[in-house]
Amino acid sequence: MYEPVILAQIFWTGVATSAPHVLMTLGFALTLKVTGLWNFAQAGFMAIAFYTMFFALNGLDLPIFVAVLLAIGTTIAASLATEVYGLQVLRERQSGNLMFFIFTLILSQFIMYVITLIFGTEPQTLFKSILSPVQIVGGVAVSDWDLLGVGLMIGGMAALWLFMAFTKEGQFLTAVSDNAKLAELYGISARRSYRVTAVIASLFIVASMYLVGSHGGVVPNSPLELILGAVLGTLLGGIGRVFAAAAASIFLALIQSFSILVLASRWQNLLLYGFLFIAIVVFPRGVRLPKFRFALAGR
Amino acid sequence: MTRSLILSRRHLVAGAALTTLAMPGIVRAQAKDPIKLGTAMPLTGSQAGYGADFIVGMRMAAKDVNDAGGIAGRPVEILALDTQADPQLGINAVNRFIGVEKLPMFFIAWSAVVKAVAPVANREKVLAINTGANAPEIAHLGDYVYTAFPLADVDISKLARYTVNTLAKKRAAVLYINNDTGIDAAKIYRENFTAAGGQVVAFEAYDPKATEFTGMLLKTRAANPDMVHVHGLLTDVPQVIAQMRQLGMTQRVSTYSVAYNPKIIEQLGAAAEGLIVTSLAPGVEENPKVAPFIERWKKEIGRAPNGLPYIQYQYDMVLLAKAMYEYLDKAGKPATGDTLIEALNTVKEFALPLTGKLVIDGHRVDKPVYLLTVEKGKFVPLTTLT
Repeated sequence: MYEPVILAQIFWTGVATSAPHVLMTLGFALTLKVTGLWNFAQAGFMAIAFYTMFFALNGLDLPIFVAVLLAIGTTIAASLATEVYGLQVLRERQSGNLMFFIFTLILSQFIMYVITLIFGTEPQTLFKSILSPVQIVGGVAVSDWDLLGVGLMIGGMAALWLFMAFTKEGQFLTAVSDNAKLAELYGISARRSYRVTAVIASLFIVASMYLVGSHGGVVPNSPLELILGAVLGTLLGGIGRVFAAAAASIFLALIQSFSILVLASRWQNLLLYGFLFIAIVVFPRGVRLPKFRFALAGR
Repeated sequence: MTRSLILSRRHLVAGAALTTLAMPGIVRAQAKDPIKLGTAMPLTGSQAGYGADFIVGMRMAAKDVNDAGGIAGRPVEILALDTQADPQLGINAVNRFIGVEKLPMFFIAWSAVVKAVAPVANREKVLAINTGANAPEIAHLGDYVYTAFPLADVDISKLARYTVNTLAKKRAAVLYINNDTGIDAAKIYRENFTAAGGQVVAFEAYDPKATEFTGMLLKTRAANPDMVHVHGLLTDVPQVIAQMRQLGMTQRVSTYSVAYNPKIIEQLGAAAEGLIVTSLAPGVEENPKVAPFIERWKKEIGRAPNGLPYIQYQYDMVLLAKAMYEYLDKAGKPATGDTLIEALNTVKEFALPLTGKLVIDGHRVDKPVYLLTVEKGKFVPLTTLT
């Protein structure tokens, strides 16, 4: 089990399978950073994204790119409707954090129940086959799904970083996340930033659910399980640190994958809950690595 | 006018009399209180694909029984409650059967649920009949818990021995879901495989919520088995096999009746070739009544049933209940948990239309095991193990 090829396989599969979780975490952590909300309604949006693609592909026989576009449309619509007609109303009422939490949780449950009534609870996959072509690279099995996942993960992180760092809209998001009232004094609309955030999170949700749904079966309440990983990544990465949250998600997936070397596989998922417990109790502000200082950097 | 009115009344009376003579059973059945058969199955949740079809199968049987005059002249009514395959919801459902509906007997499935409701059945002296769970412990759950479905020690033990003795596989890996179904069945497979002269080189449980199995499969690959037995659910078995093939593992795979489902072949494509599944009910080749049943199902429901052998059992449970109630009717005894158990043990042998002869052997039943394999994208019979 400790042969380099096996370790390389565990590493590669761990990174690849972290992709949907990383994408989900990017959307979840960004929403938390900008709006200050633990938006569990995103679990409902994940269900909408998956079942829109599923219905477009299997019910309407539409091509995959149309199915994805439709999913982006419905997810953004649901996300914006929640922002405008739900969260904004609660903000205007100056509702407490608990009310926001309850609202998003109930909304996600409501969406999942509706989806259950429409699609039933049988596990569904986006494509009839869940097999993905595989190439052996240096003894390591690399599937097309792995490559797509890693590509979407890197692409998604890069796109978000570029957006946040180099566009005015991205800088507005940072300003609103720092201090929404102060940002408004400078003419930045917090409402607009919240909506932009909802749109970006929706894109990550669709990408994530495409990966999940093309890899195995999904039932209407699967997203609630999946969002737990996003919560954990966000907690470990530190609230407000979107890319650290994404890195934490990769780290967690690798820990889970490598744990097979020392633990029976049935304990792998338990690790996630163990980390969640430790993160809440020991690292309430996230794990912060020491900053590396380079002698020349400051000169 | 008057004459025509009189004639018309006569016609009506004659017509009614003829109808009564022609269909005495139906008229009697409709006139008396219905016999309610309670069944608690997952109608929502990840197992609903099976659970909901179970109920459809039972309702088809109830319709057939009612069309033929009911049970001892009384119509049958299926009372279905949802368990979501969750033990607590199972207890709630059974409490309703007993406390509200006052039923002396109910049908139940899913191992964890059967185990959870067993103390309630025993305490309230109500007969619980397992119709689809296969955990071997079910045989030891108490005086009021019976099974009409063969437990895992029937099909899994026969499969394990067949794998060693006939397929000549000597090194097996057993991968199983970490729940009541998987744990017990995996132990039985290991015991029988070893007893037959084979060696279990990997014995790995996976979390019921797991979707990624690479680590476990790499461990398995390193153990170099020549056969892999996977004991999970419809949600995870295809994923385990798919990831096995993607890691270059070409070993033949066996599983049990849960995978006797066309969806598995659809999801796995060529990777399903050679897969061995068990069935505890005769198929089209062995029982001429099965093909018309499938046709009827397709006509009424518009698709193939999920888990055909299980549904054959659900259909037959109504016929089993019919035989038990008819025994009580002849004996002039009321239906209680105790008298129904007496009926079950006295009649003992039941000729059931879709699953064949059922012999009650204490808290167990023995049945032939039908092995099927995937060949050119279809399930084909492999052998029958008696």
